[in-house]
Amino acid sequence: MTDLILQALFSGVLIGGVYALVALGLALAFGAMRIINLAHGELVLLAAYMAYLVESRTGLDPYWAIPLALVVVMAVSWALFVLVDKIKDHRELNSLILTFAIGIILTNAILLIFASDMRSTSSAFLQDAVSFGDLFAMRGEIIAFVLSVVLMGVLWWWLKSSWYGRAVRAVSSNRNAARLMGINPARIETVSFLVAGALASFAGVALYTMSVVQPATGHALTVKAFIITVLAGVGSIPGVFLGAVLLGVTEALTVTLASSALQELAGMVLFLLVLFLLPNGLFGARARRG
Amino acid sequence: MLELDAVTVRFGGLTALSDISFHIKKGEILGLVGPNGAGKTTLFNSISGLVKARGRITFNGTDVTGLPLHKRARAGIGRTFQIPQPMHHLSVRENLAVAQVFGAGRHDENRIDEILAVMELSHKADADAANALALQELKRLEIAKALATEPKLLLLDEVLAGLESNAKRSFMMKLKELHKLFGLTIVIVEHDIETISGLCTRAVVLNFGQLIADGSPTEVFNNPAVVESYTGTAHA
Amino acid sequence: MSVTSPATSAPVASSRFQGRGALLGAGLVILALLPLLTGASPYMLGLLISALILSGLALSWALLGNLGGMVSFGHAAFFGVGSYASALLAAKLGVPVLLAIPLGGVVATLSSIAMLPALRLSGPYFALAILAYAQIFRILATELDWLTGGAAGLQRYPGLPTLFGIDLADRAGSYVVVLACVVLFAVVYVLLRKSHVGTALRAIAESEDATRVVGVNATLLKSWMLFLSAFIAGVFGALNAHIIGFLEPDYAFSGVWSVMPIIAAVFGGYRSVLGPIFGAVVIYLFDQVIAKSLIPVGHQILLGIVLAIMVLLAPNGLAGLVRRFFTKGQFNKTSEKSHAGA
Repeated sequence: MTDLILQALFSGVLIGGVYALVALGLALAFGAMRIINLAHGELVLLAAYMAYLVESRTGLDPYWAIPLALVVVMAVSWALFVLVDKIKDHRELNSLILTFAIGIILTNAILLIFASDMRSTSSAFLQDAVSFGDLFAMRGEIIAFVLSVVLMGVLWWWLKSSWYGRAVRAVSSNRNAARLMGINPARIETVSFLVAGALASFAGVALYTMSVVQPATGHALTVKAFIITVLAGVGSIPGVFLGAVLLGVTEALTVTLASSALQELAGMVLFLLVLFLLPNGLFGARARRG
Repeated sequence: MLELDAVTVRFGGLTALSDISFHIKKGEILGLVGPNGAGKTTLFNSISGLVKARGRITFNGTDVTGLPLHKRARAGIGRTFQIPQPMHHLSVRENLAVAQVFGAGRHDENRIDEILAVMELSHKADADAANALALQELKRLEIAKALATEPKLLLLDEVLAGLESNAKRSFMMKLKELHKLFGLTIVIVEHDIETISGLCTRAVVLNFGQLIADGSPTEVFNNPAVVESYTGTAHA
Repeated sequence: MSVTSPATSAPVASSRFQGRGALLGAGLVILALLPLLTGASPYMLGLLISALILSGLALSWALLGNLGGMVSFGHAAFFGVGSYASALLAAKLGVPVLLAIPLGGVVATLSSIAMLPALRLSGPYFALAILAYAQIFRILATELDWLTGGAAGLQRYPGLPTLFGIDLADRAGSYVVVLACVVLFAVVYVLLRKSHVGTALRAIAESEDATRVVGVNATLLKSWMLFLSAFIAGVFGALNAHIIGFLEPDYAFSGVWSVMPIIAAVFGGYRSVLGPIFGAVVIYLFDQVIAKSLIPVGHQILLGIVLAIMVLLAPNGLAGLVRRFFTKGQFNKTSEKSHAGA
């Protein structure tokens, strides 16, 4: 039993890395524009299907799909930004509905093109089991986790040290003050959506190499990303990572100890508990009251 | 009528109000004075219930410190905002009706007409608040809305700001008229020393969140600490 | 909205209301005649019944959004609770169906009490919290199989009865029952919006602090809107359950019941009363008759496109377009009345 629990913890941590990438994309767009992009999970899904496309057509390792995924997903993310930016009235509500609509469009477009079957990598290399003492993982899971951690490091460096990254932080903390400093918020919003798209590209390809995807996965990913930002607040990368790992572990433990039918329930209950009991998230303060 | 006992408000590490105690007698017109950032609006917010304060606020003998905003309004504490906050898509009359029905617990169109007439808004009664009103009319609507809740205590936040001196003088007369007509107790935030002297029976001075003087306008404005706080911020 | 009367100062409000009332009446007459207009085939009647169920659900969603200022992504929760509650009351306790249906609404309202803490949350947090509730209810319905029959579903429960010699279970009869409920709640909505509570809710949407400071208990009024919205959704869930005659958790709590009312209400204009009702009819028929024949799998892509276009180009929906058409040429002030449409 202890073995099973340890194994669940281990798997939860590994999937948590990818969850964190997804949530960071959502948080980045939220920080810049104060809107929740309900199509963010579908962007990740799109990247996953790019990986499937490349693998099934060329027989190449799915990681070769990253350039294609970057181009496609960042283009879609940019288009999404342009559309959201057109909203003038009741921005919060209408942007929610618009991104929701775009999510429906993307999910069904993927359904039309790739059918509703579950897809996962056929690469024997990625599916090979690797053992760490008593714990096991697929090689794909390990690579995806390492990739996620590296990307989080890159993102952290970018936000901290580059001028664009600093401007992104300035805009998310105080839009008008940033404007007074000569920053053009529209430009920063564009950059944020492009970076969110890039993160979604890596996350999607990584997800495909370690798990299964189907058209409905996108919506579920958006919800997970949202739950993570509620757990963590959108403030810090380590916070988001911890929130993501917590969600991954909770899900894995639920599957191990109860049943896989309850996996989504676990996330939802965690979400509601934190929302009502710890209104400032697990790690930091943020306003979400009306 | 209103008693403040060691009222303290902190925002994070910042102390916006520290240990404010004084009391307001029924029928007074009290001037609340102080440089920008002294805590005047925060004091209004804590009396009306917009921010949570420590200490004790007693209104007409009942402790209202823990009461939510709407209950304080119903108990008789009315207020205006420095930047008028009309309900834009409602007509002027609807603005008052909401305030009356929920704040005073009754619906009386005659009374609304009376308030509209006093506040010189009758001609705009059925117009949308946001589209049809000029800034000074919005300020009068702000007061009218508070009056519709049938307050005993009225908190006025810089209602005279931006008026030239003639308009200011006639608005002061208007406030005196309201005071008598509705039997009000009034607290008014105001910078101008002359206005305070002409309008108020008493003045309280805040600086850096602390009460530094309390007395008749003449006393207060001759108080060295007050003079210093004003000249220090280039106000007088 | 004063569609016909040139606005003169004092009687504006009343003539606006009369114009709105007339439009509402005309709209409901059209709904009543719809089966005849579309040829009254049993197939078409079946579609129209489902469309009207969706109308009721969209109305309930729009009421929460327009008056309560809350976006729900989880109306399936109320719909599903209402359908199960009514079916179980009729099947296990022998409650007459026509009583069980409103009781379904009551149980849905009770279930919404669990959501009260979510009222403190703003926009997206409320929307997602309510989605979480919907998921939890669906899973509960699956897991509590001693009560609900679990994933296998529920089939043996009574349908609509015969009343005064009219068989309500018959398609024409069912249509009349559902229509009557839609009309009833539309009238309740209109009266509510016209009342002081409605005015106060509009004021809250504009500036919550300024409204509370004049004595309005904003949280209480919003709770009422949540209860009423849950009740309406529950009643239509119950109606649907007795009309189609089977229930399973994945159907009764399906995401469709959360998504379709959003599309319908936004398409029709969620700030109006007729908008969601007609939006649902148009959207449902479009989806079932046109979209499905064009794209058998993935036809919802067309709904997504319609929704995106409406949000971008006509955020006030069909009702807004109709209003713009009628008020063209009048002075601009009336078109600013975006909150006050029919």
